Amino acid sequence: MPNPFEVKVNGEWSFQMGPETLEGYDQARLTPESFHVIHNAHSFSVQILEADFNTKTYKVSVDGKPFSVSISNPLDQLISAMGFELGSSRNVSHIEAPMPGLILDIPVSEGDEVKEGDALIVLEAMKMENVILSPREGVIAKIAVEKGAAVDKKSLLIEFK
Amino acid sequence: MKKILIANRGEIAIRVMKTARKMGIQTVAVYSEADRDAPHVRFADQAVCIGEAPSSKSYLRGDHIVEVAKSLDVDGIHPGYGFLSENAAFAKTVTENGLIFIGPGPEAIHTMGDKLAAKEAVKAYDIPMVPGTDHAVSDMDEVLEVAREIGFPILIKAAAGGGGKGMRIVESEKELKSQVERAMSEAASAFGDGSVFIEKYISSPRHIEIQVMADTHGNILHFFERECSIQRRHQKVVEEAPSAVLTPELRDRMGRAAVDVARSCGYVGAGTVEFLLDDKHNFYFLEMNTRLQVEHPVTELITGQDLVSLQIRVARGEVLPLKQEDLKIHGHAIELRVYAEDPRNDFLPSVGKLERYRLPEGEGIRVDNGFEEGMQVPIYYDPMLSKLITYGADRMEAIQLMLEAIARYQVEGVQTTLPFGAFVCRHQAFRSGNFNTHFVKDYYAPEMLRTRDEQEAGVAAAVALKYYLEEQEKLRIPTT
Amino acid sequence: MEKKIEELQKRLKEARLGGGAKRIERQHAQKKLTARERVNYLLDEGSFEEMGALVTHRTRDFGMEDQQYYGDGVVTGYGTIDNRLVYVYAQDFTVFGGSLSETHAEKICKVMDLAVRVGAPVIGLNDSGGARIQEGVRSLGGYADIFYRNVKASGVVPQLSAIMGPCAGGAVYSPAMTDFILMVEETSYMFVTGPNVVKTVTNETVTSEELGGASTHAVKSGVAHRTASNDVVCLEDLRTLLSYLPQNNREKAPDIPFEPGTEYREELGAIVPGNPNKPYDMHEVIRGIIDAESFFEIHKDYAENIITGFARLGGKSIGIVANQPLFLAGVLDSDSSRKAARFTRFCDSFNIPLLILVDVPGFLPGTDQEWSGIIMHGAKLLYALSEATVPRITVITRKAYGGAYDVMNSKHIGADLNFAWPGAEIAVMGAKGASEIIFRKEIKEATDPDQKLAEKEAEYAAKFANPYTAAQRGFIDEVILPAETRRKLIKGFASLENKEVLQPNRKHGNIPL
Repeated sequence: MPNPFEVKVNGEWSFQMGPETLEGYDQARLTPESFHVIHNAHSFSVQILEADFNTKTYKVSVDGKPFSVSISNPLDQLISAMGFELGSSRNVSHIEAPMPGLILDIPVSEGDEVKEGDALIVLEAMKMENVILSPREGVIAKIAVEKGAAVDKKSLLIEFK
Repeated sequence: MKKILIANRGEIAIRVMKTARKMGIQTVAVYSEADRDAPHVRFADQAVCIGEAPSSKSYLRGDHIVEVAKSLDVDGIHPGYGFLSENAAFAKTVTENGLIFIGPGPEAIHTMGDKLAAKEAVKAYDIPMVPGTDHAVSDMDEVLEVAREIGFPILIKAAAGGGGKGMRIVESEKELKSQVERAMSEAASAFGDGSVFIEKYISSPRHIEIQVMADTHGNILHFFERECSIQRRHQKVVEEAPSAVLTPELRDRMGRAAVDVARSCGYVGAGTVEFLLDDKHNFYFLEMNTRLQVEHPVTELITGQDLVSLQIRVARGEVLPLKQEDLKIHGHAIELRVYAEDPRNDFLPSVGKLERYRLPEGEGIRVDNGFEEGMQVPIYYDPMLSKLITYGADRMEAIQLMLEAIARYQVEGVQTTLPFGAFVCRHQAFRSGNFNTHFVKDYYAPEMLRTRDEQEAGVAAAVALKYYLEEQEKLRIPTT
Repeated sequence: MEKKIEELQKRLKEARLGGGAKRIERQHAQKKLTARERVNYLLDEGSFEEMGALVTHRTRDFGMEDQQYYGDGVVTGYGTIDNRLVYVYAQDFTVFGGSLSETHAEKICKVMDLAVRVGAPVIGLNDSGGARIQEGVRSLGGYADIFYRNVKASGVVPQLSAIMGPCAGGAVYSPAMTDFILMVEETSYMFVTGPNVVKTVTNETVTSEELGGASTHAVKSGVAHRTASNDVVCLEDLRTLLSYLPQNNREKAPDIPFEPGTEYREELGAIVPGNPNKPYDMHEVIRGIIDAESFFEIHKDYAENIITGFARLGGKSIGIVANQPLFLAGVLDSDSSRKAARFTRFCDSFNIPLLILVDVPGFLPGTDQEWSGIIMHGAKLLYALSEATVPRITVITRKAYGGAYDVMNSKHIGADLNFAWPGAEIAVMGAKGASEIIFRKEIKEATDPDQKLAEKEAEYAAKFANPYTAAQRGFIDEVILPAETRRKLIKGFASLENKEVLQPNRKHGNIPL
C-alpha cells in the first residue's frame, strides 16, 4: 500500500499519507519539536505541542493555529472497517427470576427501549424489594409476568428482542 | 493629578494605567462581578466593584462611579473608549463633582455627537463635506432637484433610523423615482417616518481619520492619519498609519481641516476626525469621535508619542509640549483587532474559555492585551481580546511582521479574527495599498480561510506523521 | 549475503501470512481479527518481539509433511503493555484451525517458562479447534505440558486468558486454571463436550452458543469473568485489567499519580434508604468511595448478590468484595461465596489490598442451597478471607447479621481495620426474628401478641440494631460518617502499606473445595 496511514486532523480532514506523500513536504528541523516546512512553495512554521506515541495522537500548531492529529495504521483502519466499536453491550436474551418471590412492580413495557442499568422488574423476596436491572441496552420483546404474580426461581420474566 | 480612576475595563484600562504608572499617578480600577479576576483589576493600585455583570448595572453607572471616585479622593477620571466616554451627561457630572474629566467638555461631546449639529458647527470653517441635504426631505421634486445638484450616484438614508433599513444607492436618474418611493415606504413602515436624507454616494471610499490633540491654551495639533478601510459590518478590524495613499500635501490639507473641526467645537483633549476619501482623493468630513480611539497605538508608534500621557497633561491644564512642526512620521504601523469571533462563521462571537493564550513577543510587536490564559471570555461585553500592533521601518516590513506575529499568537478555546488578519496581510489588494472600504465585501469569503485551513491541516498531518515514524524507529525498553 | 537476507525476509513474510490471505479474509468475515492483528493491537505500538515465527510441526503421518506452515498455528513472544513486560501467545485459527500440536504447545510452554523465570504476566489469546487429531497422543501431551505450567505459574505471575474463538474439549482446562477468563460475545465458546456429543448422549438439543457461549458462561456458570462485544473491546479490557495487577507475586501493582483534595464525599450519605427493607445499589457506594471511573468489575453477571472487582483508591490498586442489597437482599449463597472466595485468593496471591463492603442479612435458606453444599461453599469465603495476608479493611454500611457478619471480614478473622456507618446493624439476626425467639413466652402470653412483638422488636432494635455494641467491644474500630469513608480508607490503606504477616510452615491448608 503506497499510503498506508490515514491521518485525521481536528476530526474534519482526513488524509491518506505515506512515505511518498511526506516527500512533498520539505521539513527542516529547528529544534526537536519545531520545524520550518515548505509545501507547494508556501512556507509554514510548525510546532509539536503534544505527542502521545502510544495512542498515535498529536497536537501540532501551524503558524500559530493548533490542530489535533490522529494517525491510523492499516490495523486501525481494518478494525474501523470491521465495525468494531469500543462500547460494550451485553448479549443476554432473557431474564429469569433469580429466586422465588412476588412481582411488585414492572416499570417497563413491551417494546420499550432500555439502557444498561435501567430497572426492569421489582421482585419481593426475603422480605426485601429486589430490583432487577437491565444487563444491556435493548428492546423489551416480551414481559412474561404480571404485577402481583408469584414466581419460582428461574421463571422467565423478560425477553429481549 | 495624583490619582486617576479608569471608568473602563479590559485592554484599554490596562493601557491607560500603564501610562499613569509611568507618570507616577496612582490608579483606581472599577470592575463588575464578572470581571473580578480580570487583569485590569490586579494592575491598579486600588479596585472597587461597581455592580453586576451587565454593563448597564456596572460600567454605565456614571453617578455611582463618580461617588466611588469621590470616596477615594480621585483627582481625574479617564473614560477610555465606549461605555461613558462620549456621554456628555457623565462628563458634566464628573466636573460638577469637582473631579477632572480626562477628555473634552460636555458641550463639545454633545455637539459632535449629533451629526447635524456637527455639520452645523463646522460650516464656518469651509470643511469639505459629503454633498447632500442637511434636512430630511419627503417631497419628490425636492429629491430630484437635490440629486441633480449633487450628481449621481446618490445614497438615500432614512432620516428616522438606521441599521441599513431605508438605505439605497441610486446609480442614475432613471431609477431615482422608484428607488426613492420604495425607500420612503420602507422607512415609513419601519420607523413611522418616511422622510429621507440624500447625499452623494462615494463609490470607492477609504476611511481615513486624523488624530487631533488640543490643550486648554488654544493649541490644537494633528498627529497625522490612520487608514481604517478594512472593516466588516462597519466595524474596523485592521488599521494602519500612515495611509498608503496620502501624499504629504493631502495629508497637510486633511490635517488642517481636522484641526479646524476641533476648533469649531472648542475641543480639548484627544479626538479623532473621520473623513471619507474617494478615488479622486477628494476628502469629505464624516464625523468627529470625541474620545481616545481603539486604534490609537498605530499613531503612537509612528510619531513616537504617548497619547494618554498627553491627555493627562492637557487635563492638568498644561500647554502641549510640542508644536506641529515637531511631529514627524517614522516608519509604519499596522493594528489587527483580535476579536473572539469566528471569521468562518460570519464573525459571530465565539464563546468559551481561553484554554491556551500566548502572546507573540519581539521587536516591533506590541500587544495591548486584556486577557490571560484560563479566562472565560465574558458574554456581557465587547468580545475584543487584544490589539495586535506591529511596527516596521516601512509598510511592507510592518505587514510581514504582522504575519509573523499572527503565526506566533497562540489561542485555543475560542475562534478569533487572527486568521482573518493573516488573510488580509497576504492579499494582494491590501499589500499593494489598492483597497477601500469594500475590501471585505469584494475579496473575503469564509471559504478562503477554509482553503488555507486545509493546507495547514495537511502540513500538520505530514509533520505529525513524520514525527511518529521517527519515534517508531527509536528503541523502547520495557520496564520489568 | 544479500541473497541470504532475502531468504530470511521471504520466510518471515510467509510466516506473517499464517494460513494465507484467503483464510485471513474468512477470519475477518467472521468478525474476528487474526492472531497477529490481535497481538499488535493488544501490545504497545512496536513493542512485540516474536519468538518461534519459523517453527514447523514434526508430524509425518497422514500427509501432514506436505502441509507446513511457519509458526505452526500460534504466535508467541513478548512485548509491553503500558510499557510493562508481558508474554503473550495467540492461537492462529488460519493455520490448521489453530489446533494444538506438539510444536505448537512447545512454543506456548517456552513463553510460559520465560514468564515465570522473569516474573511477568502471561496472556493467552485462545482461538483453536482443539487438539490436532493427526498428532494423536503427542497433542494431548502438549496440552498437559501447558496445564502443568499453568499450575506452576499460578500465584507466581498473573495469567489472563481471552477466549476469542472456539475452545473445546481438554483445551478448556488451561484457561480454567488461569486467573481470569474473558470471552468475546458471539464468536467464542467453551465447553468440554460439544453439542453433537451432548445430543447423542443426553438427547438435549442445544447450540454452541447456548451451551458454552460468552453469555452462558458469564451468567450461568461463572466460568467467564467478563465478556466483550468484539475482539477489540476484549483486548482493551485485558490492558485495563493488567493495569491493576503487579507483574508478579513479589511486587505491588503500579500506582497512578494522585493529588489528594479533601476527599469528602457527601453523596455517600444519601444512598442507604431509611427503610431497612428498601434496597440500594452497592455500586453507588463503591463509586462514591473509589477514584473516579476506576471500577473494573469481575463476574458482573454471575452471582449478582455479591460484587467483586478492582478499583483505585488514592491511585493505588485495590480489590473490592461487596454485598449487593439490590439482589437477593445481598445474602450470601453458594455461588456468591465461591465467586468472592476465588477473587479474594487472587488478590492475596498478588499483594492487592482488599476492601470489603458489608450489607448482608445472612445466608440464603432453602433446600437448593443446603443440598448443593452452602456449608462448604460459604466456608470457602470465610477461609479465603481468614487466610489472606494482604491489608484488609471492612466497612459495614447497613446489615451484618449472624454468621455472615463473621464471614465478611470481621475483626476476628484478621481484618486490619473495621469501620461501620451510623446506620449499621450488627446483630445475631434481625430485630423481628430475634424478638420472636427471645421474647416468645412474653409474646405468647400477651393480650395483643402482634403489638407485643412490635414493642419488643422496637426494644431490641433500639438496643442492638446499631453498631455500638460491637464498637464497645472493639469489634468495630470506628463508627464513621459515610462522607468520610474515602478519607478513612485512603489513610487506612496507606498505613497498612508495609503489612507483613508471618505464616507457620505448611505445604498449604485444606480449603473446603
